Amino acid sequence: MSVADRAPASRTRTWRPPWGELTVQQARRLWGWAFLSPWIIGFLAFYFFPMIASLGFTFTDLQLTQPDKVSFVGLDNYRTLFKDAYVGKSLRVTFSYMLLALPLSLIIPLALATLLNSRRLWGRRLFRTLFYMPYMVPVVSLVYIYNGYLNAQSGWLNRFLGEVFGIKGPVWLYSSTWIYPALLMFGVWGCGNAMLTLLASMQTVPTELYEAAKVDGANAITVFRRITLPLITPMIFYNLILSLIGLFRYFDIPYIVSRGTGGPNDITLFYNLYFYRVAFQFDRMGYAATLAWLLFVIALIVTGFFFATARKWVYYAGWSD
Amino acid sequence: MSRKLTITLVLVAMLAAMALPFSSAVAQEEPVVITWFIGLGAGGQPQHVEAQNAVVEAFNASHDDIKLEHIVVENEVATDTLATLIASGDAPDIIGPVGIAGAWSFAGSFLDLDPIIEELNYDLSRWPEALVDFYRDPEQGLTGLPFATFSSFIFYNRDMFDVAGVPYPPQAFGEPYADGDPWDVDKLREIAMLLTLDANGNNATSPDFDPANIVQFGYSPIWWNDDIRSGVTSPFGAGSFYDPETGKAVMPENWREGIKWLYQAWHTDHFAPDYAYNQSDMLSAGNGFDANAVAMGYSHLWYTCCLTNVPNWDIAVVPSYNGTYTSKLHADTFKILKYTEHPKEAFAVLDYLVAGPAMPDLLQVYGAFPSDPAFSESFLAALDERFPWGVNWDVALESFNYPDNPSHEGNMPNYREALVAVRNWTINMEATPGLDVDAEIEALLATLQPIFDAAK
Repeated sequence: MSVADRAPASRTRTWRPPWGELTVQQARRLWGWAFLSPWIIGFLAFYFFPMIASLGFTFTDLQLTQPDKVSFVGLDNYRTLFKDAYVGKSLRVTFSYMLLALPLSLIIPLALATLLNSRRLWGRRLFRTLFYMPYMVPVVSLVYIYNGYLNAQSGWLNRFLGEVFGIKGPVWLYSSTWIYPALLMFGVWGCGNAMLTLLASMQTVPTELYEAAKVDGANAITVFRRITLPLITPMIFYNLILSLIGLFRYFDIPYIVSRGTGGPNDITLFYNLYFYRVAFQFDRMGYAATLAWLLFVIALIVTGFFFATARKWVYYAGWSD
Repeated sequence: MSRKLTITLVLVAMLAAMALPFSSAVAQEEPVVITWFIGLGAGGQPQHVEAQNAVVEAFNASHDDIKLEHIVVENEVATDTLATLIASGDAPDIIGPVGIAGAWSFAGSFLDLDPIIEELNYDLSRWPEALVDFYRDPEQGLTGLPFATFSSFIFYNRDMFDVAGVPYPPQAFGEPYADGDPWDVDKLREIAMLLTLDANGNNATSPDFDPANIVQFGYSPIWWNDDIRSGVTSPFGAGSFYDPETGKAVMPENWREGIKWLYQAWHTDHFAPDYAYNQSDMLSAGNGFDANAVAMGYSHLWYTCCLTNVPNWDIAVVPSYNGTYTSKLHADTFKILKYTEHPKEAFAVLDYLVAGPAMPDLLQVYGAFPSDPAFSESFLAALDERFPWGVNWDVALESFNYPDNPSHEGNMPNYREALVAVRNWTINMEATPGLDVDAEIEALLATLQPIFDAAK
């Protein structure tokens, strides 16, 4: 029984709007909507209506610099999608990089979280802070730091390779072979957040389960595989979805590294970079909106696929089939 | 309705009624806001910002009816930012200084100044007529007023020449090099290699030279936007990727030669920094001459804006190619966008910037030679004050006689898309050794042709 229900009837005051008296339940619902309204208004104004508008743009030849000369072009932009070689190329780049980056974005934080969860590790708090700290560095600063670090001529990494191993380091940021490893290094640098959430999840695993496993003679690998890993699958799933969406939105790092060119040889022409180029450099906002919607549909399908498989491998306490 | 609520509403209504005359009076006195967008040409460097702030302050102090506000954006993102501002309905009133490339990127977006000039009976006679006509477009009318021109030449570091024992390059057109040989691209290559040093002090002609550890380069184009047109026009001559008669993407033979020369300089002769070197701290991310790491930097008069570290430099004429000199030219102006709601007030600001009190200061800070001949002498005197060791400015003046025609910055249909393709190609050439240059040129033309065709 709520406080309101326990209040004496004579002291219960209901708000009476001009159109008549509301029941307590209606009034509560109204207040609920009132409190939600800032978010709803924000969502409608800044997400929903712009999305609908962008859908409308896909049927026009809107140009940023000539917004007054917009005209209806029907499905021309959708036809262009199939003829534009850069659509396939940029999607290939995005998915190729995703195949490399997605597993790493889970495995490395998981490994670090496992390490930091170990009771035998000295200075756990210090390491937690150190691993998490890079996540606080703004991406743009990070990229500029790495640009210097990986510069083929003056970068520390190549100097180290030269001085210690006597080998000439590659042109990391402008080599078709080495650019992906370089970008993966950027990604690893910022894995602190995923590590922290996985660590938090690991610490919620009931200790009785570990004690029981110990009594049964299970070794560390078995304990990790049979107890820890299954129980943290919700957090792994959460990080998987975040990483997936992050990779579909991947833009700022390749943009700064390649100075917007998508080089070398278009190998960093990620889909969003191509979208940006079409929208803001080529000034074809109508077609760019079509590209954005294509990405939205692809991301929806891929994310939906992972959600569909989640019931088979993600453990949720309280679920029963 | 309760009594309290009625009284409150009446009081609010009375207060509002009392405030109304004051608010309309205030509204009448409020100045028109004119926004000035800076970044498409000069203006985005830290050295410019202070002077531009002072211009805005001075303008606002002297005008009650107009309030000038300015937006400064870095050159690399200026085009995209301006496009976004226009699309979002926040188009600025005035842009500039804007060069030829910037103007091409926003062709069709400028206000025709002729009707305002006619209405105000504005005097254009202070500028040479040909210079005014330079900004006249057959479709858009007069889109700007002459402000500044920038010739180009070689900035050379005297100390580096002295240490290497290499004579300085010539300072007059037609004059041979110190050894009597013609001052041409071959001689430039020869002395640039002598001036290129590795960490052990070997120059680029030495068999012991280590290209992985270069500490000083002989030659480099400076702040050329990784646009091959800019890299080869001086010294190899004017040209264009577009043939307006056939509508085809073409490679002028002089540019083909220039590209091969530059590619060899980056990757074989090593006297010019390749992409990795250019992005390194040692070359101050492309500003190697001011970082004291380049003996000869090719740039425009505007580069004087930002020469703060290199102590003892002078300027020399561009070398010839096949007996012809080409000193590529930049021309900057301010333009009013056609989206402005206050064209007359915007024109007042335009006048203040190109012909009013702001003009001398802005010309100095931009390193821009005045289009108004009356200001030439004072401009050069001010440059001498800034660089008191004696720079031969006759080189800059004489270089105006050898402009590139057509301009290296213009003349491509579907300009912004074509420019992206050209820049991407340039960076790839700059960064990748071992390419077949002729095959890469054909690939560039194959990329450009559909871009040009799309504009039809």
